[in-house]
Amino acid sequence: MKETKEILKVEGLSKTFKLSAKQQKIEKTNSKTITAVQNLSFSAYEGEIFGLLGPNGAGKTTTLRMLATLIKPNGGDAFIDGSSIVNSPDEVRGKIGFLTSELKLEDFFTPNFLFDFFSDLHKVPDEIRDKRKAELFEKFGIDKFAEVKVANLSTGMKQKTSLVVSLVHDPDIIIFDEPTNGLDVITAKVVTDFLLELKSRGKTVIVSTHIFNLIEKICDRVGIIIDGQMVVCEDLKTLTAKKNLEDVFFDIYRERKGDEV
Amino acid sequence: MKNAALVVFKKEMARFFGDKRLLFTTVILPGLVIFIMYSVMGQAMSSTFDSKDDVFKLAVVNMPASLETAFSPERYEIEEVNISQADDIKKKISDKEYQLFIVFPENFDENLALFNGGNLRENAPNVEIYHNSADVKSGNAFSETTAILSSVEEQLSNVFNINYAATPEDAARYDTANDEELSGTLFAMVLPMLLMTLMYSSCVALAPESIAGEKERGTLATLLIAPIPRNQIIIGKVMALSVMALLSGMSNFIGTMLSMPMLMKGMENDMNNISAVYYSVTDYLFLILIILSTVILFITLISIFSTFAKTVKEASTLVMPMMIVVMIVSFASMYSTEAKTEVVWYLIPVYNAVQSMIGIFSFNAVPVNIAVTILINLICSCGGLVILTKMFNNENIMFSK
Repeated sequence: MKETKEILKVEGLSKTFKLSAKQQKIEKTNSKTITAVQNLSFSAYEGEIFGLLGPNGAGKTTTLRMLATLIKPNGGDAFIDGSSIVNSPDEVRGKIGFLTSELKLEDFFTPNFLFDFFSDLHKVPDEIRDKRKAELFEKFGIDKFAEVKVANLSTGMKQKTSLVVSLVHDPDIIIFDEPTNGLDVITAKVVTDFLLELKSRGKTVIVSTHIFNLIEKICDRVGIIIDGQMVVCEDLKTLTAKKNLEDVFFDIYRERKGDEV
Repeated sequence: MKNAALVVFKKEMARFFGDKRLLFTTVILPGLVIFIMYSVMGQAMSSTFDSKDDVFKLAVVNMPASLETAFSPERYEIEEVNISQADDIKKKISDKEYQLFIVFPENFDENLALFNGGNLRENAPNVEIYHNSADVKSGNAFSETTAILSSVEEQLSNVFNINYAATPEDAARYDTANDEELSGTLFAMVLPMLLMTLMYSSCVALAPESIAGEKERGTLATLLIAPIPRNQIIIGKVMALSVMALLSGMSNFIGTMLSMPMLMKGMENDMNNISAVYYSVTDYLFLILIILSTVILFITLISIFSTFAKTVKEASTLVMPMMIVVMIVSFASMYSTEAKTEVVWYLIPVYNAVQSMIGIFSFNAVPVNIAVTILINLICSCGGLVILTKMFNNENIMFSK
């Protein structure tokens, strides 16, 4: 699989945030900056699911936000199907589908309206939009709630709507930050099954999570991030040949951080 | 291909027109409230000052025979009383049973007959009129009775007249101003300040919610992930907000224009013919262009503050100092109903809009100055859009917690 087309290439990506006086107090540091991601490099290939695994605050979400062009890196670059996140952010945004709990849908509108609205922003022709909407709405059971305002949808249905809206343009690379966070088991299963389906259709999926089970279930390769650095980037089968993922992770974690678990 | 700014514009309009409560509170309610408020105020003032149907009940001591015809029986119900009843009558005035208690000196007519043009100045007879100023009817009776007695007094000692007129209609010939000019002066004095304040208030009611509100709720980030240049999002939002603010401003304006004549009528009888019909189509066109360009400028400026803010509440606080500036500049119109003629004044944003409105309302609009105002407003708005684009591209501003 690794010999197939390289869809995502991350080269020495770094991100530093300025700290306010209040944040310095919270972080108990005198430094005016904090490094969230440091010289991160990895690749993802066509038709694979790549998992970013790490504890809270490791830099997973920051990495994905940089890939989605919501924030700019201080160093390095990443190329999505050849488009630079630094130099061609608009182009990159057209090629990816990005889903994170940070992105919300307007409560006032219905799933139907929002699908059409984002399709228009992605310049999806009307006939393709209608066909795609019918398929996705049916798959996620949104069709019955298509004309219900987001405000009146259940949490699971909101999450499904967000997912569907992020795919209006049928992107080749899909970036999901904690895709099953806050979902009930049924909705979580629908989402993970859908990620596998996307993979089977040749799409590249990047997920960040701290749930070992999810990585083991759906990912082909995994990158472990600790303190903003990629400490392991390996084929999942190779990585878990002798131990399960949880044990592998904690071995690596102890090696980096001592007994601070 | 669909233009991204237009797509955002349509979404904002769908939000606005789809929310009946928002539509009612921002477009219909303001105009309706102003119309009802000013009409009721005009009506209340009119009925307060206009007492033509009232009959005043007067208690009079020593009623002079010479004045009996001066007080029409249809208007005055006069009861002659004794001075010993003074306390009782005064209490009845307090109880609003009587409107006035008038005490003429004894031999009033005889004393007046002795008047020879100067000998009464030292020891002029004093007419005491007791009234209740807290009672509108008593106040009106006092004003009218004083006027009647003054008129009698003037006739006795008349040396010269000022603007003598046999009838009120005749008195109008001394004032060279026509109804059109009166309307112009009044509107030029009141409306620029009112319109600027209303326009700014309309913009403040809408822009922070659309930008800071979306930022606060996390829906703006969803929009920022779309593959469109950020300035397209801004243009779409500013266009939509301008239309909404214009609708809200127009509602205020229509409510004001429709109720203004009623308000003025209540304040002053001379203002009966105050009307907006004297303005030409060109005047209205100039006014609409000035309002439109000023609203776009306001929306752009408020959007900058709203983008900088993290919450709607913070945005509302940040835009308040600008509100004070707008109000101070707008109040300038209340002190001068003549617009500046030098073009240099029209290079100052906000002030230029006030001056242009004064010019339009006083029928002295100079097309060049109007054009300069619109141009300056649009140039400043474009500058604001550039700043907004930079802000939208700044992650520290857009995603700061």
